[in-house]
Amino acid sequence: MTDSPSETTEAPNTLGTFAADFAALVGAERWTADHGTVHVYLSRDQWVAAATAARDETELAFFSFLSAVDWAKEVAVGEPADDVENLDERYEVLCRLSSGTDDTALILSTSLAKDDAWLDSLVSVYAGAAWHERETAEMFGIDFHGHPNLINLYLPQEFEGHPLRKSFALGAREVKPWPGKVDVEELPSTENVEAAAQTDGEGS
Amino acid sequence: MTHLDHRGIVEVSDGGVSVELKGETMTLNIGPQHPSTHGVLRLIAEVDGERIARLDPAIGYMHRGKEKLAEARTYAQITALINRIDWVSGFANEVAFIRAVEELVGVEPTPRAQYIRLILTELTRISNHLVFASSYPLELGGATALMWAFREREHIMDVIESVTGGRFHTNFNRVGGVNPVAGGGKSQKKVSLDLPAGFYAAVENAMDRAEVACDELDQLVTGNEIIHMRAKGVGIITKEDALAYGISGPNARASGVDFDLRIQEDSLLPYGDFDFDVITGENGDSFDRYLVRILEIRESIKIVRQAIGSVPDGPLQAKVPRVLKVPPGTAYVRAENPKGEMGYYIVSQGGRIPYRLKIRSASFSNISIMSKIAVGQLIPDLVATMGSLDFVLGDVDR
Repeated sequence: MTDSPSETTEAPNTLGTFAADFAALVGAERWTADHGTVHVYLSRDQWVAAATAARDETELAFFSFLSAVDWAKEVAVGEPADDVENLDERYEVLCRLSSGTDDTALILSTSLAKDDAWLDSLVSVYAGAAWHERETAEMFGIDFHGHPNLINLYLPQEFEGHPLRKSFALGAREVKPWPGKVDVEELPSTENVEAAAQTDGEGS
Repeated sequence: MTHLDHRGIVEVSDGGVSVELKGETMTLNIGPQHPSTHGVLRLIAEVDGERIARLDPAIGYMHRGKEKLAEARTYAQITALINRIDWVSGFANEVAFIRAVEELVGVEPTPRAQYIRLILTELTRISNHLVFASSYPLELGGATALMWAFREREHIMDVIESVTGGRFHTNFNRVGGVNPVAGGGKSQKKVSLDLPAGFYAAVENAMDRAEVACDELDQLVTGNEIIHMRAKGVGIITKEDALAYGISGPNARASGVDFDLRIQEDSLLPYGDFDFDVITGENGDSFDRYLVRILEIRESIKIVRQAIGSVPDGPLQAKVPRVLKVPPGTAYVRAENPKGEMGYYIVSQGGRIPYRLKIRSASFSNISIMSKIAVGQLIPDLVATMGSLDFVLGDVDR
């Protein structure tokens, strides 16, 4: 997520052209078009206006998903991010909108400071955002201003913590670390993967 | 509370005197343990007599936290997790995920592997739709179709098992190709590293049986007057609502959204090689949702028949490094699952484990419209609407 704009704006493909056009339309400073996925990076105050423009002017009527990524220096689960030293700690909220007639699509992205994690709700633009925002709110602790019913979707109302934050430990791994005593093989490294691959081919 | 405006007004005629009765609303809890909720969906309905004034779906009883679990597992291990999302179409779940990893790694699956993936995806689609077409009449009061369609579906499950070794949780895709089971299934005795002996004949037979199932369902259900009365005009979803709520797959096509990811340019599998139609409905009601699926079974049969005649030779697996490290990058890859758009947003930071995996499942968005379309319905119509959306709670809660 640290690509510089000069690298990606050179991509001479239709996806790149589409991304550049949309970024210009909504006044976004940065965009990328890698792996067939267009990201347009917005500031928090551009969020609702950009989604409205996507719906009304770019005809992206289909609401695909809304979610977030917790960019954290310390992780309780899994592997840490690349280049942790220079990592900018933040929540990145993503919203994917696509066309109902062809394969045009883009992902709106905005970054929220961890101590000020709120965003305007998209429910008035895309009705389908309601459940996705509820999910993101409970899983990441992000507040969506203007949401009609921002209560927990999956978890009990009295649940404490936000499970998809990187600081939230995975209970199963806490009580039973992995690889454990009963596991025959370690997390694959160069040597034992080769051995494992051979047994895979012959086994069962 | 504006939602109470939808209260039904009951007119009682008694000797020419008409009295308007406004009922007290009461809260009716449907589920989580209820046969019509396909698992553990809970609906909190505020009802005025038989009419629903407000509906709050409560989900999460099947929430397994797959996105969190994925952050502690290697990509190969995640394949085993994700075919349990929508277990009625387990194989199809894997394809989009594996394609997303392949996109990030920069590996192209071999042509033979792509065809095998395509055939199995379509078999999964037929199997999924047969489960729907058999359980939907059951919800409307007819049990015969359940037996008939499940009987024919078993042939498809046998084929899937003979190739992958699993009926539901196939765990069959690998980055760069597929991994056929060694000696799995009934028709396969010897250890083999390709499609089992007699595979094409078994598929051909399963397709014949699936066609029989369609014919039988047409005779028993499609023209059935009771089904028409229960499903036509019930639970109408407009085209605009379908798009804004992110409703995809057969549910959206029943509302007239002419969109199928299989025929888009970014399609994951070589559907362009085959001749088939995208089925759309007009009315967006429960009956159209039923009909679209029945017709889709026939289209899928067409695809499979064309595909088994032209499976290319060659390796099943492209060359992939032994230790799969996925370069840093993000990709969203989606596929036309039997239930709609199934997508995976992978954030890789260069390791063996994804930094974040967002799973976009079809059923989650598909049922989020329930609280809108249920208002004003009778309770039996709610069951008819719910069944026609063809959701699986594992696909809703993930």
